[in-house]
Amino acid sequence: MSRRLSPIDRVGRVVLGALAAFSLLLLVAPSIIVVAISFEPRGFISFPPSGFSLRWYEHVFANRQLTDSVVVSLWVSLATAAIALVLGVPAAFASVRGTFAGRSAANAFLLSPQMMPGMVIGIASLFFGAYFAFRASNTMLILALSVFCLPFVIRIAMARLAGLDPRLDEASANLGAGKLETFARVTLPQMGPALVAAAAFTFIEAFDNVTVALFTSDVRGRPLPVELYYLVQYDSSPAIAAISALEIGLSFAIMLVIARTVGLERLGR
Amino acid sequence: MALEAAARPRAPATLLRRILHGNGIWPAVPALLYLFVFLALPMLTLLAFGFVTIDRGRVVGDTWTLDHLKAALSDELVWRLMWRSFWVAAVSSLLTLILAYPVAYLFAETKGIWRTLILVAVISPLLTSALVRAYAWLVILGGRRGILNQTLLSLGIVDQPLRILNTDWAVLIGMTQIHLPFMILPLLAVLAERDRRLEEASLNLGASQTGTFFRVVVPMSVPAIFAGLALVFAISYTNFIVPQLLGGGSYSTLAVQVYEQTIVVLDWTRGAVLATILLTTCFAFVMGIVAFGNRLARWNEATT
Repeated sequence: MSRRLSPIDRVGRVVLGALAAFSLLLLVAPSIIVVAISFEPRGFISFPPSGFSLRWYEHVFANRQLTDSVVVSLWVSLATAAIALVLGVPAAFASVRGTFAGRSAANAFLLSPQMMPGMVIGIASLFFGAYFAFRASNTMLILALSVFCLPFVIRIAMARLAGLDPRLDEASANLGAGKLETFARVTLPQMGPALVAAAAFTFIEAFDNVTVALFTSDVRGRPLPVELYYLVQYDSSPAIAAISALEIGLSFAIMLVIARTVGLERLGR
Repeated sequence: MALEAAARPRAPATLLRRILHGNGIWPAVPALLYLFVFLALPMLTLLAFGFVTIDRGRVVGDTWTLDHLKAALSDELVWRLMWRSFWVAAVSSLLTLILAYPVAYLFAETKGIWRTLILVAVISPLLTSALVRAYAWLVILGGRRGILNQTLLSLGIVDQPLRILNTDWAVLIGMTQIHLPFMILPLLAVLAERDRRLEEASLNLGASQTGTFFRVVVPMSVPAIFAGLALVFAISYTNFIVPQLLGGGSYSTLAVQVYEQTIVVLDWTRGAVLATILLTTCFAFVMGIVAFGNRLARWNEATT
């Protein structure tokens, strides 16, 4: 399009472009800086780093408390993702294909955890447990986190189910397959990529979560985010940058999984 | 016959088939029950804990009381903290909008690899722990050794290190950056899939690009703008990590107080009351934003 641009339009374009460039820089710069300073050879932070060394990574891997917390977090996140998938996928199925009375109310309730701040879910779980004399524990954390993560699974699964052709299910039924067989052999395989994406997203949300975890996790055997939270408050050594860089690496791996399964644009809906 | 059939215990396979029956509520029942037990009941407990007296995690006494709520509402500190939570969240939401809109617009105008790069730049922070990003800001803004001050001092732009960490500025910067993807994503979807014929018409009728942008593109995206504002406001208003880490030890907001009363001071009654106030006011503000957005959208339709 070769329209003549007025001076105001030119200024407008420059402002828009500059703002976009600034905010893209703002989005990525902190992560890049953290990764850079994790290679610092000295005992304090400087940018750009004064050299290249992996000593802070060695430091992190030699720290028993940290490696233990990573293991705790892995188990917690896997359990959370498993519960959220097992509950969420059938729920999404009912939400999309169901024709029962009160469907929109059920939908609203199923997605309601996303309206709740993590902190409120955490405190509510802590108090509810305390009422029955249960202390904060990693079991409580898993239960609370799966509430927190359920809407993610339901939304991703719903989006995929809504895009499926119901005629395939009808064809399967017409060929004599029962409901169960149709679900297992026709519907579920088509949902495969969406399920992988939902699992990956739930895993990373649970792995990174600190707002629920601060209230519900075990005092002994803390998950990584809680451990990191206390570290960050009292210390800013490059060791924290090394842990952070590893977490950034993990988030990129998860992003790749999502990009390959449902596509990154899906996350926007 | 029918009665006999009904009385006969149902075979497990039949039950399973009914549960998997495509049209019923059955597949959602486990999730609904789960949320009832692990979300609805805990939320009721949280609410109730504000109206009883609790000592070391046990309810003492057997009477309901409004005293704790009254005490909190007549506490000037609570109102001061609520006001700070409100304005920090409001300013930060507006900042995210100003920064997010150009990115979403640029995304809609570009093709190929640039599109993917923008998407990666938006999504990768979203999947990175907010704690990691708060730490990044701690390192960037912190004291004389902070990266920002190191750079500014060595470039001779300032001769005294700027004091940003442990002020409102640090909290605003951190929150805005951390919540930016939540504002970009709803705008991205709407702007990328918009109907461009109206803009063409506007340009063909002689309107300038700037005029077209503000009078055609922006009004069309009003619902997405307000959806984003409501979301970012809610997560900023209830964020206690960023104020704690970037605002410093003496910086407090309503959300920070909820955390401190519950975990540090262990005054659960007050924690419950403040959490209830936080949640209620958050919903009220969000509903206000949504209502305002709806009015604006209707007004738009009426005037165009």
